[in-house]
Formats: sequence, structure tokens, C-alpha cells
Amino acid sequence: MKRLFLVITPLILVLSALTARAELTIEITQGRDNPTSIAVVPFNWLEPGAAPEDVAWVVDSDLARSGQFAPVSRSDMLGRPSTQQEIFYRDWRAIDSEYLLIGRVSAQGTQMRIEYELYDVVRQRQAHRGVETGPINEARMLAHRVSDAVYEKLTGIRGAFATRLLYVSVTRVPGGKDYFRLTLADSDGARPIVLLESREPVLAPGWSPDGSQISYVSFESGRPAIYRQNLSTGAREQLTAFRGLNGAPAWSPDGKNMAMVLSKDGSPDIYLMNLASKKLTRITRHYAIDTEPTWMPDGRSLLFTSDRGGRPQIYRYDLRTGTTERLTFEGSYNARARVAQDGRNVVMVHQQNGQFHIALLDLVTNRLQVLTSTELDESPSIAPNGSMVLYATKHAGRGILAAVSVDGGVKFRLPSREGDVREPAWSPFMNR
Amino acid sequence: MSKLLVASGLVLVTGPLSFQLRAQDYVDVEAERSGRTTPAAPATAAPASADPYATPSGTDPYSVQPTQSYPATSYGMDSAPAGSAIGAPASAAPVAAPAGGQNMGTLYIQMQQLQQEVMRLNGIVEEQANELRKLKSQSLERYVDLDRRLSSMGGGSSTGGASAAPVPAPSPAGGSGGTELPGEGDAYRSAYALVRGQQFDQAVESFNQFLRRYPDGRYAANAHYWLGELYLVIDPPDLEASRQSFSLLLDRYPDNAKAPDAMYKLGKVQFLKGNRERSKEYLDRVIREYGNTNNSAVKLSRDFLAENF
Repeated sequence: MKRLFLVITPLILVLSALTARAELTIEITQGRDNPTSIAVVPFNWLEPGAAPEDVAWVVDSDLARSGQFAPVSRSDMLGRPSTQQEIFYRDWRAIDSEYLLIGRVSAQGTQMRIEYELYDVVRQRQAHRGVETGPINEARMLAHRVSDAVYEKLTGIRGAFATRLLYVSVTRVPGGKDYFRLTLADSDGARPIVLLESREPVLAPGWSPDGSQISYVSFESGRPAIYRQNLSTGAREQLTAFRGLNGAPAWSPDGKNMAMVLSKDGSPDIYLMNLASKKLTRITRHYAIDTEPTWMPDGRSLLFTSDRGGRPQIYRYDLRTGTTERLTFEGSYNARARVAQDGRNVVMVHQQNGQFHIALLDLVTNRLQVLTSTELDESPSIAPNGSMVLYATKHAGRGILAAVSVDGGVKFRLPSREGDVREPAWSPFMNR
Repeated sequence: MSKLLVASGLVLVTGPLSFQLRAQDYVDVEAERSGRTTPAAPATAAPASADPYATPSGTDPYSVQPTQSYPATSYGMDSAPAGSAIGAPASAAPVAAPAGGQNMGTLYIQMQQLQQEVMRLNGIVEEQANELRKLKSQSLERYVDLDRRLSSMGGGSSTGGASAAPVPAPSPAGGSGGTELPGEGDAYRSAYALVRGQQFDQAVESFNQFLRRYPDGRYAANAHYWLGELYLVIDPPDLEASRQSFSLLLDRYPDNAKAPDAMYKLGKVQFLKGNRERSKEYLDRVIREYGNTNNSAVKLSRDFLAENF
């Protein structure tokens, strides 16, 4: 994770003031009915001067965004304890806070240390304590790790706050060529970094399974080509430049292969490229359009979209048996599947009443549930812990990112202050 | 048809706006397609595209294919079919040269039409295979359910408890009142034997007789329950009679061990009668009133709600 920020050397990058303005902000549009109340007290900064980052506020926002917590407003807090001795439980019971998070932040040189303690107000005892250390300029990421720990302690599900997003933003230039920017940001949209800026389309960003590399399609050479790029070294490699389509790269779970769509042999079909030898294996062979491959987490089969049945539907190709089976039967249009790490929940673009929504298919029960109520939804991407789905949609005439929990209960938007944002790709869990 | 060519040209535009446009085009194309149902129709469509090489997009094999102009909608974002348009000269058209002339052109169109037709049929086969799979598993479920119920009656050792089958044996069914009257047990068991023998019509008659003789007997609630079940399996089923039997049981013996099962069954009967709202009321009631017990009717109700509502 630390490596990420050391060297980012975008190749065609013009870092401009636009970067800051492209930052995403978050508006929660729907939360749970009975979220857990938690008070995140401002952490005590033990060094002289002002703290470089309001760590507690980052945690507070993370927990609120999950929809499963209702953080107590700071103005309602009757005290600001930062150690166990300073806690008066009655103060927190009085404002119906079920949990209490306190902490202390110190610094030495370029390193920062966050100590935090979580208390159960009802039982009046400590529920968890932990320490996060790292570079000061990574303060927000350290704070997200605190959020992850608290979230996991209280929900039993691994937190996905200390993860990152890739997305493409497009700035329209009236009468001229648009700007396409491939942007990397924290999971809350903060600290955006433009990795690639081009006047030609940039599409289909994706992650390597360990989160160290990304892949995307860029038209910068005038034709589509698939690239991969190392996030810490900035080293970039062009993987394909075949005639026709070069699209939809998808890293295999073991990181050794990449599924992609090529039309060099006629109609678009799915191919596998061995990333070491660059050897290609053709997976599908059909005059219909086969596209948008994505891997099952076990790496044994691929899901893809095909109109071989007359309309686009999701199919599964088993790499061992070479058999193909259709997975979606509800609705006349299902496309661009993404699979959760549990290998059970599949999200996709689903057409209903002429509108495009994000739907979730449970592969065990075969039930399909429409998750979103917005229109023209596309490009779903699922969080590494399977809890939320990020997708692109339209709001007030602009392309924005929005998120919905896999049960449809929590919804929020991440509108950009400028340009259209689309094609989000949620990173895997990052190794420290 | 010319609209299609325009549509494929639009594929070039990669903006979200074009996504909307393309989505719209797809709908139009579909409308056109469904309009062309007569065999003669494809011929009328042909002239417009008779010479696929006449237009700039002719090199793109998909531009003359109505069905395949849509993938731009979703495929667009990810796999950039735009690429095929942008790299039009490069995009590998199987028949790239117009050398073959009119004959080749005609053959090409015919092949495209055949491919489309096969894709459409393929879709129908896939969907029907899926329907069959579903029906098969449903009928298996029904069979297993019935079988379990019958066998639980047979052994008298209905400890399974997974089905809504009532315990037929004389267990003093949870405060249903009534003590056993002389001859009542035998009468009940003989009616019951008919159920086991799958003589459902006779069983209905027999249970009705039983209730006339022992209206307040110890097994009266059981008899009502069985009548409710039997009215559903006789041919043709009598939904109203079934409903009345279950309702009677619920009204008269609200504390009987069969009450939750009867409530669940009422939900099912109402569903079969097409009264979805009433059905949901009963099923919700089961969960509300017995949700904190481990009564099998609760799980059955939940499953039924999840499956049908």
C-alpha cells in the first residue's frame, strides 16, 4: 500500500488544477433503518501544532457511508475522552450511543502512530483496541484501516475502506476533443491522482488480483490497445495491438493470465493471454458477439456476455470442460457481470421496463434482485468484501458514480464536481 | 434499415450520452425486428443493404446486422465496440473485397440472416431448457413433499417435522379439547388408512362421516386438517372446500398444534385462488405469531414468500 504513493509516473500525464476539482464527494441517499449508534471522539493529537489529518473524522465518515452505523454528531458529545480513565459511560448512554471510539495520534519524524480503543457503552467494557503506524502522508489510509478494524469488530465482515478506486472521468470540450482521465482515488473518493490523461478514449480499467497493477484500454495510438501499468514503478506495457477490437481486459485470480476480447479473427471473441509468454488461447468461437469476460474467484470458469441467444445474456465458460452454459433467464438484457469474492453473488446490468438497472443474481438460489432505482446504470464493480456495489449512472444530466449495498438497503452517490465519471473499478484488498 | 447504418455510425461516440442514444436505437431495432415476422419481410429489408459494400460501414460485418448493432449499448463501455468502427478499415470483415459482386453480396446477406435466425432459435432453446429444468425440480419437490407426508403418516413415527404434515397418531394434540369417544380412534384410523392408500375421494367421504359422528372428538382438528389437505389433492381440487376446512380448524382450535400449519396452508390456498394479498396476510401471520418457535410452518411460509412475493 505504501508503495503506491511513492512513485506514480503517469506517462501522458498533465497534472492540472482539474485534478483537485475532479474530486468525488459523497451524498448518502438511503441508509439502514436501525443503524448502530457509535460516537467517534476526535482523536487526541499528542504533538505540538495542528494535526495533519482529522483521523477520527475519516473514520466517522467511513462508518456513516457504510449505512450500518449512525455516528453521533460531535456537537452532541458531552465529553472528549482520549483515554479509558476519561470515559464516563453515563455521558454516552445519555445520548444513546451504543459504542464509543477514542484514540491518540502521535508522530515521530515522518511516521505517524494511531492508537485507538473501542468501548461497548452498554456493557461498559473495552471491545477492541489497536495501533496503526505508517507515513504521515498516508494518514488517511491509516485512518481507513482503523475503520476497517472497527467495522470488522462490530459486523463480523472485513472492512473495505482501506481500498482504492479507479475510474474514468471525461471533461467535455465544446467543439473540441474531450479529455479522458484515468483516476486513482481512495475508496471514499479522496486524494484523486490522475494516472493517464488522453484526448482519446480510455476504457475498462481493472486491477491485478494483488492490487499492484492495473489494466485498461486506451485509444491513444488512434486504435484500441490493452495496457498494463505497475502502480508503484509506473512501468507500462502495451499488451495488444491487434486489428479490430482489443477490449475488456480481466486479470485471472492467480494473476498469470488476462482474459480479453479480440476481433482479429472475425467477430468479437474471448481470448486468454498468458502474461509471461504473451501466448494467446482462444476461448470462445462464435459468430455472435462474446464480450466482457470476468473471472469466477476460483479461476476455473469465466462469465461473459453474449448475444448468441439473440439477446445479450450472461454465460459461464468452464475452463476445464470447455462447456458453456447460460446463467441469466430473467429479462431480455443482462450484461457486464462482476462476481463477488464469495463466488455466489453476481452483479450485472439488467434491463427492466426499458431502463438499465444494476441487478444481483444469486448463483445458488438463481434469484435475481434489482438493486438500483436510478436509470441508465452501468459498469457495476463489487467491493472486495462483497458488501457494496459501485456503478456509474446519471444524475442531473451528469455521469456520476453511485453505490448500493448488495441487499439494496444502503445507497449513496459520489458525484464529481466536474465532468462525467464512469467505469469504476474497486480494488482488491491491498496488502500492507 | 438506414437507421441501422446510422446507429452503427453512432457507435463511434463513446460518451455516456451516446449510451442513451444507442440504448434507444436498440429498442427501435428490436421493434423493427419484431415487426418483420412474415417470411417475405427479410426480402424487403434486403434492398437497403443489398450491397453491404456500398456504404463506408460496409466493411464492418455488423453494420448490416440489425441484431448486432445493439451490443454497443453495454459492450460499449467495456469492450469498446467503438473500436470496430474506429478501426473500420482494420476490422476484419470476413468478406472484405467486393470482388465477388452481387452473388457474393446476396450469399453474405443470406448467411447473416441465417446466423440471426439460429441465434434467435438458440435463445428459445436455452430458455425452454431452463423452463424444463425448473419444472422438473418443482415436480420433484412436490413429489418429495407428498411422499414425506405419506410416509410420516405410515410409520406413525413422524418425527421428521420438516413437512407441514400433522401427526396423525393420537398424540393429545395440544389442548384441542375433547377426550376420545368410544370408537372414535378406530373411525379416525380407518379414514386415515384411505389417505395412506391414496384413495383420496373415499378419504374425503370418510373424514366427513367421522366429523358428523364425532364433531367435538379428540381428532376433530386433525380431521379438519386432513380434509383441507385432501381437497387440494383430489381431482379436480376444491380450493374453496379446502379453505373452509383450514379456516374451521383455525377458528375452532386456535391453540391446536396444527394451527400454524393450517395458517400456512391457508396462505397457499389463497395463493392458488389468486388472492395474493390474502395469501401474504396468512403467511406473514405465521411468521409474526410463530416466528420465535421452531415450527416448520414458519420456514415453509418464509420460503413460500421468498419464492412467490
